Amino acid sequence: MNEDNKPFKENDPGWQGGVAKNITFIVTKDCQLACKYCYLVGKNEKERMSWETAKAAIDYILGHEADFPEASVVWDFIGGEPFLEIELIDKICDYLKTEMFRLRHHWFDSYRFSFSTNGINYHTDKVQDFIKKNHTHLSIGITIDGTRRKHDLNRIWKGDGPERGSYDDVVRNIPLWLEQFPGGGTKVTISSADIPYICESVLHLYSLGIHEVNINCVFEDVWSEGDDKRFEDQLMQLADAIIDGGYYQDYACSFFSEHIGKPLDPELENQNWCGAGKMLSVDAAGNFYPCTRFAAYSLREKRPIIIGNVRDGIDKNKLRPFLTLDRLTQSPRECIDCEVASGCAWCQGENYDAAATPTVYQRATAICLMHKARVRANNYYWNRLFRKLELEGEREQWEKNKPESNDVIC
Amino acid sequence: MLQYMIILLDDTSTSFCHYEVNKTERHLISLDDLRAGIRLAMIENLNVQMVYPDYELPQEYKELINTIDHSDIVPIALNHNDADVVVTDGWNSTPPAGGVAVIRTTLAELLQHGEDVSKWLATVTRLNIVITDVASFTDDDQKAYSNFLNLLGENIDKLYVNGASPQLNLLTDRMMLSAMNNCGAGDTCITLAPNGKFYVCPAFYYENPDESVGDLENGINIPNKQLYKLDYAPLCRQCDAWHCKRCVWLNRQLTLEVNTPGREQCVMSHLERNASRQLLTSIRQKGTFLPDKPEITEIDYLDPFDKIKN
Repeated sequence: MNEDNKPFKENDPGWQGGVAKNITFIVTKDCQLACKYCYLVGKNEKERMSWETAKAAIDYILGHEADFPEASVVWDFIGGEPFLEIELIDKICDYLKTEMFRLRHHWFDSYRFSFSTNGINYHTDKVQDFIKKNHTHLSIGITIDGTRRKHDLNRIWKGDGPERGSYDDVVRNIPLWLEQFPGGGTKVTISSADIPYICESVLHLYSLGIHEVNINCVFEDVWSEGDDKRFEDQLMQLADAIIDGGYYQDYACSFFSEHIGKPLDPELENQNWCGAGKMLSVDAAGNFYPCTRFAAYSLREKRPIIIGNVRDGIDKNKLRPFLTLDRLTQSPRECIDCEVASGCAWCQGENYDAAATPTVYQRATAICLMHKARVRANNYYWNRLFRKLELEGEREQWEKNKPESNDVIC
Repeated sequence: MLQYMIILLDDTSTSFCHYEVNKTERHLISLDDLRAGIRLAMIENLNVQMVYPDYELPQEYKELINTIDHSDIVPIALNHNDADVVVTDGWNSTPPAGGVAVIRTTLAELLQHGEDVSKWLATVTRLNIVITDVASFTDDDQKAYSNFLNLLGENIDKLYVNGASPQLNLLTDRMMLSAMNNCGAGDTCITLAPNGKFYVCPAFYYENPDESVGDLENGINIPNKQLYKLDYAPLCRQCDAWHCKRCVWLNRQLTLEVNTPGREQCVMSHLERNASRQLLTSIRQKGTFLPDKPEITEIDYLDPFDKIKN
């Protein structure tokens, strides 16, 4: 049993999951790293958000309370690497707090500041001061991809000269981070070259004290023939290691979920997967996007989808396609008829970028074989685990405390 | 399935819909392309609509056009006696009696010409009013447009009582329909432009000639073709403003997606739908009218997006 008296560690569904508005400040498009799988194809050092733009965005959003009825808000800061702009972020957060209070905004008692960082600057005085000041309202995730060789395969420093991995620069900050955020989870991204290192990487992250590993395959069409089989083999190894090592009691890995791999009802389970359009992003130019993935620096092939700006506000017409999207309308027949459809994710931004026309209504299917491989390994995991629990007399109790699944995909 | 082919005979062919013709230089479709277009229409069993410029076509064009059964859409300036549809831009010309007329107008001008509409309805067999500034319709315009439609409905009601059966797209189409009946661009309808290439509709050609969906040599190939079909339009497929143009070009202008209408188009169509309901109710109080058509039910929204959202 873990400390919650459940035989399983479940993935954290996220603070106020489902009822919070997620508002993202793209504070910079710069990063110290040049990760090979990064979807941000247009990173640069020039597009840094000014205070004037940030303030105008806040004034617009808080000034239109009726347009943001969600009970809570997650103020998300993204880059590039957001902590490169810690001084601006500190100023933004101070202003947000005072304005939410001054306006008696319904978010005043229900907000979060959220960061996904590469962890390199985590220990610096400015970041630490910020953390101390805002700790009770903070969610911070540090991205570490696993073992040194897995991490350094993709997460390399920017610049000319020989490749230099960033593992040492990140791992040194993990103890401090876990001390401040004991439940902190990390996000691991898998592309073709990473497959051989999945099992060792997840176990390595557990050994660092990270109890929640959110891991997903990239949605881009990067896969080679045979990757699905290699992926399945890695997940089977991981399943054995988690079960045999008893990690399932206190650790979570988002690859394994009881709810994936089932057919989906065309009427009752027709909702969109992605939250694009329900979220809001703003960049250095003061433009609003339905999600960061629709900003120019995220797109390979298509023009950005700008839904407004801090001066003129949000063009609600531009949100209508996102808010009326459903699974069936955007899916090809093979997905609609798929017998293992549940849990197969998509990214609306990648769908748009990969589509034959500029539309968010064409689902990309590059991930299809990888999902099916995941389902097979997932079936193995649960069959093995349930049998083990039955033999140990814990199955019934697990059913009573059945955890909610959570797929963190972006 | 394709059923109609619109052939723009010239770059300056009249607009009969929401789009503006932004080309001023005459450029006739080549005879070879026209011939190939007609041949394709025959092979595919497509109904052809020829759209004319405001000048007389050379004789060889007239002869070639007459080799296929077709409809002629002509600007009123051409003074074409055999036109199937006559288009007027604005209110300075009176459409000829006995035919089908299209009037392109801004909303503000339309609201000032209710009497003209009533007068012309008594003389033409059908009047299509195309409002050219749908994109700038605001919620503040709702009341004025609604009042205008209801007043017009009262006049149409009188015409029906007197035995006439005028057709006005904004008010009488919805009464006659049993299901969605929209423009069909990209689904049932394709446009052949003077450059010999195919477009979803004339508006797409004038907006960006590089955005063709095929040509006469290689055929028609509409990427993401399904998105032009009603089943792939989440808002429209559950809507009952059946007469709505569902203009895919306006959709894309306002929402960036061909399958998603902007609020302006939805609200205007629902104001028309509700005025049609009132007209139908009023006519039926005086006798049997369209007994095979269902009632138009009362609804509490003007934008189906609000229904989905809630």
